[in-house]
Amino acid sequence: MNSQSESSTQRPADETAAIEVKDLTFRWDKHQPALTFPDLRLPQGEHLFLHGPSGTGKSTFLSLLAGMLPPATGSISLLGTAIQKLGAGKRDRFRADHIGVIFQQFNLVPYLTTEANVTLPCRLSRTRKASTGETPASSAHRLLTALAIPESHWQRKVTQLSIGQQQRIAAARALIGAPEIILADEPTSALDSDNRDRFINLLLTLAEERNTSVLFVSHDRSLAQRFHHQIQLGQVPA
Amino acid sequence: MKARLAISLATASLWHRRKVLALVCLTLTLSVTLLLGIQYLRTEVKQSFTSTISDTDLIIGARSGQINLLLYTVFHIGDATNNIRWSTFQELKQDTRIDWLIPISLGDSYKGFRVVGTDESFGKHFRFGRGQPLTLASGQWFDGVFDVVLGAGVAKKLNHALDDKIILSHGGGSTSFSNHTNTPFTVTGILEPTGTPVDQAVYISLQGMEAIHVGWESGVAIPGRTLTPEQAEGRNFTPSAITAVFAGLDRKILTFRVQRDLNQYTGEPLSAILPGVALSELWRLMSQFERALLGITGFVVITSLIGLIAVLLTLQTQRAHEIAILRATGASPGLIASLYIIECLALAVVACVISLALSTFVVSMLGPWLLTNYGLQVQLRPLNIEEWALLASVPLAAVVVALIPAFSAWQQSRSQGFGSPGES
Repeated sequence: MNSQSESSTQRPADETAAIEVKDLTFRWDKHQPALTFPDLRLPQGEHLFLHGPSGTGKSTFLSLLAGMLPPATGSISLLGTAIQKLGAGKRDRFRADHIGVIFQQFNLVPYLTTEANVTLPCRLSRTRKASTGETPASSAHRLLTALAIPESHWQRKVTQLSIGQQQRIAAARALIGAPEIILADEPTSALDSDNRDRFINLLLTLAEERNTSVLFVSHDRSLAQRFHHQIQLGQVPA
Repeated sequence: MKARLAISLATASLWHRRKVLALVCLTLTLSVTLLLGIQYLRTEVKQSFTSTISDTDLIIGARSGQINLLLYTVFHIGDATNNIRWSTFQELKQDTRIDWLIPISLGDSYKGFRVVGTDESFGKHFRFGRGQPLTLASGQWFDGVFDVVLGAGVAKKLNHALDDKIILSHGGGSTSFSNHTNTPFTVTGILEPTGTPVDQAVYISLQGMEAIHVGWESGVAIPGRTLTPEQAEGRNFTPSAITAVFAGLDRKILTFRVQRDLNQYTGEPLSAILPGVALSELWRLMSQFERALLGITGFVVITSLIGLIAVLLTLQTQRAHEIAILRATGASPGLIASLYIIECLALAVVACVISLALSTFVVSMLGPWLLTNYGLQVQLRPLNIEEWALLASVPLAAVVVALIPAFSAWQQSRSQGFGSPGES
């Protein structure tokens, strides 16, 4: 698996990076060939666009970064912490404290209200709760307002909302408590182009306000110009 | 904090899936109600059974086994092996240790119900249940020779009222061909229901019993020798023998000594039994059946718990997305597993609470009806420790079986990748 880095700017190496990956490989089982991933270093507060067609291990890469799968070789350092060396419980806690996630779809817990979905990270992590600087509910309200979710939807079950709204609620959940890193796995693939551009603008603007680094995965290259860096995963089919 | 999160997530999740889970919960509720009901009835029936007769210290009859004696005197099942001479009864009356005696004379029947010949001491001293005396629903105890008092069950079944004339039959059985047609009896009283065999018998005086058998010495009526009610007036009927005697003692501590003395009585072969001991021995014979019943009900509960787990495991595939979100947000596999345990426990507790309410309702509604129609005494009472333990075992069992989906969820969420399972 080849990769090419198109990073534009390089920061001094001594500053603690949000994400730093070296020699990373992963295999699902012994009989399959290992997936290899590019080395990368993302400074705090900057955004990275990860491009790759389907089947190039984008979700696996995010799973490794989130500490949900153990790498075969190599190291992953998030905010100066080598997460592959942490125990399973500590990895879960680290993820709760420092990482926001947005999936492609089915982002929300179906039986919780909009507000309860957004404040979920604050209930799993004291750090995130403390970082809101106010009550999780009022912080959620500000984020939902900023993401243009009407107030009438806040106490509703999320299953009644449109996909665009659901993805924006997921963004609010990722942003609440200002985590250092947001991992977004093709969050715009189910959106139309208007919704998609609005979503990315809102996400990146709100992330910048919080000095949050966004790692954004997509197969849609046209989104790349909004990001500080971009990386290509795998070979582009000819 | 995590425990509160787990509980609130589990509650919301249960509410979200309430339509599917309500059916499972209903199954569990019904089976728990059955279990609780059978255990409750077991205790009640045993209580009702062992208090068929109370305050009677000894039952004295002709020499026989204690169960046999108990069966024919108290339950009106089977026949006496022999009679007791009237003189023996008079001698017992002289015994200073004995406080009271109830003579019992059996042998006749009325449409399948036993006729019990006795005297006024029956109404005065006979006790059942927790020492309750017999009370008359209407009328009064027999006074004349041809007066009869009906048990509640007899009056209800045959639809008799006061002052009805009834014809007793000679011997047992519901269709007897030799009836005491010349000597009809008048209903003077009807007893309140007791939930004991007392309800299923009719009571006449010993004199009445003697009077209807004048001329029946050979076993059938010899024409011309039987009496008419007019002829019976003013005559003295002293029985020559009775079937059994219920005795109450002054000092309970002497029970065993009196029993031994009676068993060694030289005048004729007698047996004296302690009704409480005989009743529990009889109950032991029947307890195999009720144990089996409880066992079967236990299996019904286990079956519905397995059904619950099957449903939870089926729902697990639907919950993959939600688990992925929770995991990615930082929930530990332990938290995910605990959701299943809490949900299962909550369902079991809800089922137990509903079945408790349901049982209370059913018992309070059916109690009086069971007593009047079936003579079964089932009263609403607080649960005993055994029943609480049985009820508590349901949530405990639910937690144990919940370990199955919890473990599978724990295992799955440990290897849960980013996004939905199956995607890479």
